Amino acid sequence: MPDRMAFEVPEKAGTRTLADREGLLGTLFLLPAFVYIITLVGIPLVLAITYSFSNVTAGNTAFDFNGLENFRLILATPQFRRALWDTLYFTIVSQIIIIILATALAELLALDFRGKRLARVLLILPWATPISLGTIGWLWLLDSKFSPIDWVLRAIHLLGPGTIFGPGLHMNYLGKTNLAMASVIIVYVWRFLPLSAVILMAGLTSINREILDQAAVDGSGFWRTLLEIKVPLLLPIVNVALLFGFISMFSDMTVIFLLTRGGPVYYTQVLASWAYFKGVEGGALGEGAATALFLFPVLLAGVIMVLRSTRRMEVT
Amino acid sequence: MKHKRTLFLVVSLIIIGVFLAACAPQATPAPQKVEVTRVVKQTVKETVVVKQPVKETVVVEKKVEVQKFAPGTKLHIVQWSHFVPNYDKWVDPFAKAWGDANGVDVTVDHVSITDLAPTLTAAIDAGDGPTMIEMPVTPSSFVEGLQNLNDVNEQAQKLFGEQAPTCKANSYLPALKEYYGFCHGWVPDPADYDIKLWKDAGYPNGPSTYADLLDGGKKIKDATGVPLGLGMSPEIDSEMAARAIIWSFGGSIQDANENVTINSPEVIEAVKYMAKLYQNAMTEEVFGWTAASNNQGLIAGELSYILNSISAYRSLQKVDPAAADNIGIGPALKGPRGDQHASAHVWFIYVIPKYVNANDTAAAKAFMLHLVANYNQAVYNSELYNFPAFKSTVPQLYEEGSWLDIDPFGSRPQDKLKVLRTAEDWVTYLGYPGPANPAIAEIYSTHIISAMMGKVARGEMSAEDAVSEAEVQIKAIFKKWRAKGLVGGTK
Repeated sequence: MPDRMAFEVPEKAGTRTLADREGLLGTLFLLPAFVYIITLVGIPLVLAITYSFSNVTAGNTAFDFNGLENFRLILATPQFRRALWDTLYFTIVSQIIIIILATALAELLALDFRGKRLARVLLILPWATPISLGTIGWLWLLDSKFSPIDWVLRAIHLLGPGTIFGPGLHMNYLGKTNLAMASVIIVYVWRFLPLSAVILMAGLTSINREILDQAAVDGSGFWRTLLEIKVPLLLPIVNVALLFGFISMFSDMTVIFLLTRGGPVYYTQVLASWAYFKGVEGGALGEGAATALFLFPVLLAGVIMVLRSTRRMEVT
Repeated sequence: MKHKRTLFLVVSLIIIGVFLAACAPQATPAPQKVEVTRVVKQTVKETVVVKQPVKETVVVEKKVEVQKFAPGTKLHIVQWSHFVPNYDKWVDPFAKAWGDANGVDVTVDHVSITDLAPTLTAAIDAGDGPTMIEMPVTPSSFVEGLQNLNDVNEQAQKLFGEQAPTCKANSYLPALKEYYGFCHGWVPDPADYDIKLWKDAGYPNGPSTYADLLDGGKKIKDATGVPLGLGMSPEIDSEMAARAIIWSFGGSIQDANENVTINSPEVIEAVKYMAKLYQNAMTEEVFGWTAASNNQGLIAGELSYILNSISAYRSLQKVDPAAADNIGIGPALKGPRGDQHASAHVWFIYVIPKYVNANDTAAAKAFMLHLVANYNQAVYNSELYNFPAFKSTVPQLYEEGSWLDIDPFGSRPQDKLKVLRTAEDWVTYLGYPGPANPAIAEIYSTHIISAMMGKVARGEMSAEDAVSEAEVQIKAIFKKWRAKGLVGGTK
């Protein structure tokens, strides 16, 4: 008690230090994050918007306003239209698969079983691994000549002459349009599933046990509890998982750049990779910026909508 | 309150520490003795131990006058990790030794070949970065951010004679009458083929025309299941292969005056040929290849013919010398009217961004000349992968009985690479027969040509439609760069 009493003794005016000024302290502590966001997010974003309305090149970034010319040019190319479609297709299909699998995984990992901690560690590995390393691993798995998956398929007589996937000895995953697109989706799911699963797991554990116990007492089975109680209660969390997933996938070019470089032909090209090929490697920086920013307004509106609906759905 | 104060104290100390560290003065470089004028006698001599007897090296003495370098002059070179690792082991100490002898602080950084374009883009955008960057293909789309290198190119030509046309075309922009790069070397892109398979197919010396390639390739695939491999994927080898076929069929993307000529009967014929070649002698793997895939396929004995530099063959020599003996090296194939062209595989083009100061620029140019003067070492240490921009600097490569006749790196037969002595006769460059201008560079980087080939080979479009679609895009790209005054022509 003496300490507490000592603590409560009012300090004399004029002896207040910086540490006592909570408002100022809060500002100071927030300052690094603020500087970080402005420097690494804000300025590049403004720069990209500026570039998209100018005819800058990789060799000359002096601003010379050219209106909507970059947008007109990119819209005229079939590669851009394909990249736009692929970006939406890969993101939506992958996210649907991810949310379904993540919900199942979250349910599974909420149960008590032997090796649960190890399972959780293994689950997070794809997210913890640098995306470039993971994708290079997949590139090897899907190699046209040395794919271990092909080797296994041949060993169990599913690939080769007279087999279901035969007669060739290789599947050529990245050379066939459908298989290449499926490969990209698989890699995206592999990469982003852990994040969504962990988010949903946190959501599941936050559901009031009393509600679930009451449902059990009332005779609600597994599916009814899942679909009529857990899923509705999880919706705000699902929205958060979707939001992270959408934004991460929309802005990712590593998977495409390392795995397919947009091929075969342009069938797996996405906006981020096409922006890079056009703007950095091709030197048309203005068109690259316009490509990268094309969906920014749509994305921004989507994010605002999701966040607002999440706030409305929050269980208090 | 006590905890809050402690926390505040700790955070404040960290911030002050970081601030002080950032503001700390850099170590002052020790004063360096600088000669007022210096004439360096560069004696080019063979310093490497060869495995097989070669003709006695011709010693060429070149005098390169080196100006005074101010104290603190730096040369920071960024170049790609060479496909022949031995080259990097040689070039790093070579550059540092030159720096030590001339009072220049030299640093050589190696990055992946695909990281060079983003490195140069970022450096120009930031206005800060390396002194010079070595680009593997034409950096003409960066020309506005690069220094004019007319002086060093002219000096090199004065000292070492004529520059290989494939090098000049990838470093000189006629629209500005300006050298934006200094190309010190190039790499032939010959055929690498399986001797036994082609012998069994009736071509003991490999194919010499595109008709042979189709006929022999089909026979081999039908008889053994082994396809040939000319890629149609968004990667460097596919782009070069597509252009080699177009040129050898008499077509081109542009003419010598930089007018778009892609939509021609010759190009359509070339595209149809590629589709036929795919349907008869290749598999779907060629649409999903990386730059390393055809090398790997050849090494694995699963491809009968590829277009690539000799690095694929050199790799095989190291892992399986007996299998390497079965690999033949062939020249560019002839088209239906006898045209014989193939692009160089890559080039070695040094560029100096505009932000580099005068002292560092002078050092960079002096080093370029020093490297060229000693290019026989570069060729040797790259295991004959690099070819010189200035032939006179490497007489050991071209004379009778020299390295291409008796491969110092153990080829069996020892003259396996002699076909490369004629490489300068059939090698071309991006943009052939016009210059490698920014429009050509963008077309290359956005894979329009390999995709055009791929669409027809996959049966998605007719050759005529695919070429027309490509023409629309190519004309738009030309128009854009022409408006900036960086591309000539009118059409």
